[in-house]
Amino acid sequence: MAFDEMKASDGAVRAPYRSYENWLLSAAPDLLPRKHEQADELFRRIGITFNVYGDQDGTERLIPFDPIPRILTAKEWSRVHDGCIQRVKALNAFIHDIYHGQEILKAGIIPREQVLANDSYRPEMHGVNVARDVYVQIAGVDVVRTGADEFYVLEDNLRTPSGVSYMLEDRAMMMRLFPDLFARHRVKPVDHYPDLLLKALRSVAPPACDGEPCVVVLTPGYYNSAYFEHAFLAEQMGVELVEGRDLFVDDGLVWMRTTRGPKRVDVIYRRIDDDFLDPLAFRPDSTLGVAGLLSAYAKGGVTLANAIGTGVADDKSTYIHVPEMIEFYLGEKPILPNVPTWRLEREDDRKYVLEHLAELVVKEVHGSGGYGMLVGPTSTKEQIETFRAKILTNPGNYIAQPTLALSTCPTLVDKGIAPRHVDLRPFVLSGETTTLVPGGLTRVALKEGSLVVNSSQGGGTKDTWVLEDDQC
Amino acid sequence: MLSRTADHLYWMSRNIERAENIARFLDVANRLSLSGGGASDSWQPPLTIAGSAQAYAERHGEVAAVNVITWAVLDPANPSSIYSCLRTGRENAHAVRSVIPTELWEIINDIWLEVKRIDGARLREQGLTGFCEWVKDRSHTVRGATHSTMLRDEAFWFVRLGTFLERADNTARLLGVRSKGMTAESRVVPASDQLHWAAVLKSVSAYKSYRALTREDVSPAGVAEMLIMNADMPRSLHACLDSVSTILDRISPQAECTRLAGATHARLHYGRLEELLADGLDTFVSQFILGNNALGTEIHKDFLMS
Repeated sequence: MAFDEMKASDGAVRAPYRSYENWLLSAAPDLLPRKHEQADELFRRIGITFNVYGDQDGTERLIPFDPIPRILTAKEWSRVHDGCIQRVKALNAFIHDIYHGQEILKAGIIPREQVLANDSYRPEMHGVNVARDVYVQIAGVDVVRTGADEFYVLEDNLRTPSGVSYMLEDRAMMMRLFPDLFARHRVKPVDHYPDLLLKALRSVAPPACDGEPCVVVLTPGYYNSAYFEHAFLAEQMGVELVEGRDLFVDDGLVWMRTTRGPKRVDVIYRRIDDDFLDPLAFRPDSTLGVAGLLSAYAKGGVTLANAIGTGVADDKSTYIHVPEMIEFYLGEKPILPNVPTWRLEREDDRKYVLEHLAELVVKEVHGSGGYGMLVGPTSTKEQIETFRAKILTNPGNYIAQPTLALSTCPTLVDKGIAPRHVDLRPFVLSGETTTLVPGGLTRVALKEGSLVVNSSQGGGTKDTWVLEDDQC
Repeated sequence: MLSRTADHLYWMSRNIERAENIARFLDVANRLSLSGGGASDSWQPPLTIAGSAQAYAERHGEVAAVNVITWAVLDPANPSSIYSCLRTGRENAHAVRSVIPTELWEIINDIWLEVKRIDGARLREQGLTGFCEWVKDRSHTVRGATHSTMLRDEAFWFVRLGTFLERADNTARLLGVRSKGMTAESRVVPASDQLHWAAVLKSVSAYKSYRALTREDVSPAGVAEMLIMNADMPRSLHACLDSVSTILDRISPQAECTRLAGATHARLHYGRLEELLADGLDTFVSQFILGNNALGTEIHKDFLMS
């Protein structure tokens, strides 16, 4: 039985939900469905949509929004907060290290070839110095919960993590739909995220910047699945939203084409993958990037956020070493533990996993977005056998984890309110300091019993509330 | 501002303005066809004005009311159908949604969500007049939101530039219908022609104004005077060029496009109707359209993505 964040196993309502429960009891029975409908209408009108890859008609869809908030106490949050900050500090130190002295490899804590032969390791970055030694300005740390005090990190997202716009829009929507709820609860604000983001980005201006740093958001364009978020963040920060074709490199500096001639760009918050950033350095067929960008970057003419080559640190084969990194670089004990993980390239691990496929979750080492994974307990025999064959052709490509009983939260479904599994993605910002706003994106698996929360796989989102100290 | 942003803003407003004008032309054609006189050929002008007569002929052959309406309102294959213009306008707005006021984006997105739902059956139910009024109304709303919420910076001026350049082109094309043989002397015409020129005025919401300004009968010369020369008439060529010229002066006084716009504006401002129409209304119109296109090309060269 999974841990429910609202109701304890004896049916008693847990402290953070008490006031909400009272409100719910006094509300008209059709209030939530009505508000839910209203929210969909508003989201569609505002154009908060995403495009589904592989969907032929290319229509824009809404990410389902659940009108029941997920509520955390200040105490619960403070652990997640401290744990995420600790983790991202260690990961930044790790990335700096592997592109410089490689102390952690010399110490034998992580096998050398596992890092250096990784597809996401960028030899071009070796010896390159980046502003303030910060590589990951924006990190999304996926946290899951299995009990009152049990939080685990499931995954780090260190490339171009998305979802923060939903965190902000979900909050705005909740305030619009249920102003009375915000009068009854003291919910810590998240709206200052764009200010913190801009501050972090400005603080990592490159050495070549000699005035006010000019920050831009680089998007692949409005056909990209996350275009809404790119536009939203540019708008909220009050900076230009650029495409690759708007930029060019001249004399080691980056410029954008404007109606009044070229203008210098200092910091690029890029939402384009490494491979597409610079056709001269990476994929030559990329039309999304900027020719010469890598060379300007390497010489300190511009800052890229996140840095090139961070992917090696959020790979699942690196993930298993993060607790050791924390001890190695920070000399601290990990505040948030990893989920126990088996690596299928190891014979013992493989043997165990193949015998227990029906109980485990198996993932591709380099995969993301909930694609290419097996959730044993909810799969048919055929699906398991098909996956077993895939594993056997390339065991090194997979890891396995126990099927965690992810915590559940009350969620509005067709038949009323029912518990559904959730996870949490807080967004950690690094610049002059490392910070995060109290909250994050709560993703919810809307299908009964499902553990897959990804929006591309039918997941929805919820507003995440962190209550002020004295609330419970 | 990014050149690409300017480009999107300019095409956003041009396309919405075009959708509005097509709705205006269709509405008048519809009213003319219902009023009996000259009914049979009332559906040709909307095609001629939109410059899509040939493409229409290839697809549908003869000019028939239901086909013209389908083609000009709903056909995604026709780049100047109302559907296509609103889609293109919305795509351009989407690309600059971080730059334009949120309200403006929401209005434009909303128009698109509405028009996407419309098919032949719904259009019949709503009626062409009702639909055209809706398009005009939404376009007014877009302009109103632009005017009352946008910061007066370059972005605003590029939006306005697109509006006025498109409007000038549309008014000129409208004047071109049945303009052959018309001059500044054409003050008396047969009743069926009078009906046509009154329809021209109505399509640009100028009929009442015409009546307020003159006691003369509606005539080609009278209409031309109003829609070419009268700076107080918001859809006249003179008024459009007033705006285009002022905007370009603000954005870049030294640019070639500013000089071109100024020269055209001066002709409209200081010229006489007899001089402008010396070679006939039809010649004037085709030269104006060419000049307007050249101006558009020059604006692209100077500021936008080339």
